[in-house]
Amino acid sequence: MSAAAEPVGTAPDPFVHPALFYRDEREYLDGTVPFVREGLAAGEPVAVAVPGDRLRLIRDALGDDARTVRLLDMREAGRNPGRIIPGVLRAFADAQPAGRRVRIVGEPIWAGRSAAEYPACAQHEALINTAFRGRAVTILCPYDAGSLSEPVLADAHATHPVVIPAGSAPAHGSAAYAPDAVVARYNEPLPPVPDAMTFPFAAESLTRARHLATDEGRRLGLTGVTLEDLALAATELTTNSVVHGGGSGVLRVWGEGGHVLCEVRDRGRLTDPLAGRRPPARERPGGRGLLLVNLIADLVRTHTGDEGTTVRCWFAR
Amino acid sequence: MDTRPRTPHGTGDPVPVLTVRPLDGCHGVRAAGEIVLATHPVWERVLEQAVREGGGVYHLELSGVTFADVAGAGALAAAAERLGDGRWFVVRRPPPTLRRVLEMFWPDLPTIEVSMS
Repeated sequence: MSAAAEPVGTAPDPFVHPALFYRDEREYLDGTVPFVREGLAAGEPVAVAVPGDRLRLIRDALGDDARTVRLLDMREAGRNPGRIIPGVLRAFADAQPAGRRVRIVGEPIWAGRSAAEYPACAQHEALINTAFRGRAVTILCPYDAGSLSEPVLADAHATHPVVIPAGSAPAHGSAAYAPDAVVARYNEPLPPVPDAMTFPFAAESLTRARHLATDEGRRLGLTGVTLEDLALAATELTTNSVVHGGGSGVLRVWGEGGHVLCEVRDRGRLTDPLAGRRPPARERPGGRGLLLVNLIADLVRTHTGDEGTTVRCWFAR
Repeated sequence: MDTRPRTPHGTGDPVPVLTVRPLDGCHGVRAAGEIVLATHPVWERVLEQAVREGGGVYHLELSGVTFADVAGAGALAAAAERLGDGRWFVVRRPPPTLRRVLEMFWPDLPTIEVSMS
């Protein structure tokens, strides 16, 4: 009986997630274009989600073949790292017919990522492994070894089970692979901001919390859809605190550079690392609050622990 | 120097309400207020009633609704999927947040027609 000979758990995971290190355009194209063409030749659905300037390089190198590839500018589609799994990777992979391997080139980390964005980027790369476990999907993640810092490149070795070194060296398993440790390490405390509109809320003050967030967002320069998005995010986060996070919390809204930030702290603990990163299930209309926040905000950072949970989100003004 | 109080205080939290009345001249209701945690039971009763009632098009006149959250949009989508053959919702002048969430999560539900007139 094959079940006895091959107990569940020893079969290799069909999910393949290599990091590709490159130092220049040639290495970039040598690492990505054959990967795309191999997929197309095998009849596999292929998507490329990389920063716009690199997307143009790949598109031009593919020529006519580019028409059969889903091309996305990761600076837009993946500006908030927390929406890349639901809004880019699974949005593409889940829409493909079953039985075919799906190939994606995904470059979520580039040299211009801010210090506020980076912890969310590293957690995202680590969580891809959980999100795609057991699926016939290959996600190749290019890393600009010439521009990214040493700690970023070291993290890439911890978030990818396989690495492809810069130059012509072959792929090999990563001895440093430890994605859960990366998720934990970047679960960094988000220090309170002194000069923020601060409002402790509970069930009876959810409406006031939304009005205060909206008023402050407007005063800080948000308009139109972005102001509506702030109202939605504040509502979903405060409602989550009331329903799941101990019944109350503290809302803060403030401005920082080109962004308006909205933060909710409560006494709950976020135990599901993929919360807000699963695409919506048609048969379950509920539980989409955090996903919505990930989809509409420019950045979402979370910190969770025994003392409670903080979710902070950024909206460009 | 900005001397406004940074931490709002005081009493009198607005209590969210959702009022519902039958529409004159067509099948459906006019709702006013907000669709949030405290008013979800009212909203869900409205939708449940609409699913049960039968008839063809069911109008939800929402021009008096100032805000709807994701769960409120989800309840509407779930009700729309339970409508019988040949039935659909016409959602008239919904608040921008409801349109945004419907477009994001339920973009091609054939049984929801959003009308801005």
